[in-house]
Amino acid sequence: MPDTDTPTYRRAVIALNGGSSDERIVRLVVALGTKDVELIAVHVVEIDWTLPLDADIAGRSEEVQQVLDTAEGIAEQRKMRMEPVLLQARDVGAAIVDEATERDADLLVVGLPYRKRFGGEFAIGRTVPYILQNAPCAVWVVREPMSEEPS
Amino acid sequence: MFVLVVGGGKVGYYLAKELIDSGHEVALMEKDPTRARQIADEIGSIVIPHDGCEGKYLGEAGCNRADVVAAVTGDDEDNLVICQMAKHHFDVPRTIARVNNPKNEVLFRHLGVDELVSPTRMILGSIEQDIPVHELLHLAALGEGELEIIEAHLQAGSPAIGRSPEQLDMPEGCSLFAVVRGGIATPLRPDDVLREGDKVIAIGKQECEALLHGQLIGDPEAVSAG
Repeated sequence: MPDTDTPTYRRAVIALNGGSSDERIVRLVVALGTKDVELIAVHVVEIDWTLPLDADIAGRSEEVQQVLDTAEGIAEQRKMRMEPVLLQARDVGAAIVDEATERDADLLVVGLPYRKRFGGEFAIGRTVPYILQNAPCAVWVVREPMSEEPS
Repeated sequence: MFVLVVGGGKVGYYLAKELIDSGHEVALMEKDPTRARQIADEIGSIVIPHDGCEGKYLGEAGCNRADVVAAVTGDDEDNLVICQMAKHHFDVPRTIARVNNPKNEVLFRHLGVDELVSPTRMILGSIEQDIPVHELLHLAALGEGELEIIEAHLQAGSPAIGRSPEQLDMPEGCSLFAVVRGGIATPLRPDDVLREGDKVIAIGKQECEALLHGQLIGDPEAVSAG
């Protein structure tokens, strides 16, 4: 592939959902990026309205920390620097878009699990459409392959 | 302070906006998904697109930790149900209801809604301030709505004309505290003689209203007929 066709970015926000697509999207962004790109891994913990937004939820959870640690580990293997960001928000999509906007990112990458609703229709959820509609920068959506096992 | 606003009409929308600007935490419930989306686009992700009349959704909206629940839908019955659930099921310390039909105010108070806001009553009050009426004018509610500040415009036929407050048989728990005469408000002393055209400001319990009416307004129809 000629160099001119290689996607370039200087600051990428990688939205991690704690699922199996996280590793895939981090590897993709790391592989396509140069050494001097800024990588920001964002994991948003959605806090429902029964709790205040500043409730100590995300900081206490080892599982949540592990999501960011794994992403950082992949970046380190390629000698790339990644800033981990852990957020608590009422709405994941809005929080990711806000973070990308505040960071002046030129790329936002999200993973999309392949899920079907009852009845067999593909379910895209509400976060990805929100991001596609509201993010000011380029957005890559990386959909997971269809599972061969019955869902 | 966490305020749960139920109803995303004009009132709910601007109320939520003002509260956010004042630095409060706000959640807004709106059952119409299109309207809910529209508000979320404008204000942010504070909208819960569900019916606040359902306890399950009130719970999901964080009613259990709300300091105030303001039920401001256009439907009195809904506002009453919301405040009742907030008060008695979720132990919300303060409930505020919009009451569209002033006739429902008594019911709302009786069922324990802390504060009532009646746009109809307010507009009516503004109109009545400028035209002669033979009724008591409700200016404001105090405390938890038990006390009211009331204005009485003394017109021909009022039994209070020519008498002083100490000569009037005032109901217990009710007192006259000011008089507006010629556009000037002055404290009302026990021996001040009241005149036709005076506007007397009283404070008292709602139950006193009928007695207060008899003392200050009298029976104006008898005067007109006479």
